[in-house]
Amino acid sequence: MPGPLAILFVLLGTTIVLLIVLLTRASLTATPAGKILAFLAFCALPILCGFWGLNEHLERSKQTAFCLSCHIMEPYGRSLYAADPMYIPAAHFENHRIPAEEACYTCHTDYAMYGTIRVKLHGLRHIYVQYFGTPMNPIHLYDPYNNRECLHCHAGARSFENDTHMALLDQIKANQLSCVSSGCHDTIHNAASIDKVKMWKSQE
Amino acid sequence: MSFRLSGGLLIIGLCIEAISLFWVHPLAFLAFFVLGGVFLAAGVLLYLSSLIFHPSQTNPNDSHSK
Repeated sequence: MPGPLAILFVLLGTTIVLLIVLLTRASLTATPAGKILAFLAFCALPILCGFWGLNEHLERSKQTAFCLSCHIMEPYGRSLYAADPMYIPAAHFENHRIPAEEACYTCHTDYAMYGTIRVKLHGLRHIYVQYFGTPMNPIHLYDPYNNRECLHCHAGARSFENDTHMALLDQIKANQLSCVSSGCHDTIHNAASIDKVKMWKSQE
Repeated sequence: MSFRLSGGLLIIGLCIEAISLFWVHPLAFLAFFVLGGVFLAAGVLLYLSSLIFHPSQTNPNDSHSK
């Protein structure tokens, strides 16, 4: 069964061939069927290919490899392989608590209504700053990390429902006490000093 | 003329889209969105405008016979 990408390539190829045929043998468009074919080749199929391609690119932008393809993200990518269990991103990535292929997106998306759209707009801003502006140094989040992103997976989990978390649950849910900056789980990427940390190597 | 130009723009736009899909990188997205998107939109709009404003031009045979 061919994947969506293969089907998209077939569709792109078919549309291009159809366009070339109609441009070189314009007499084909003289008949009503030819006019419908021309409408498909000149309007319907290109629009379909455009939206399908856009969807494919948006799906790819969730990939860890996509985020780490920018030089500035290199130390953040290395921090996923820290051999120290106190490193929260590494603990999640190395133990497959999050999908390894979409590690950045899983923790840095916005689990709220229209959150995906907001994150994509942030992504466009990243691209703009990377190529047409000056990236912040050191880079940091636009807004403080929202506990909602942690609770999306951890809320209700057996390992989460211990006495400490339960006693502070209201403050955690209200973002009055941050999961990552409260002295509880505050070893995050530490990109500036990641070179001094021992790295884990997968056996695969 | 607009029929051929529209076709040319669409072929270029579709080729850019196809090439951008071979690469997982923000620049590939930019190429697809900015370059490919402009060519595709221009091609489709030119074709639609030629249908509305110059229907005979969408069929070169008609214009040749005149």
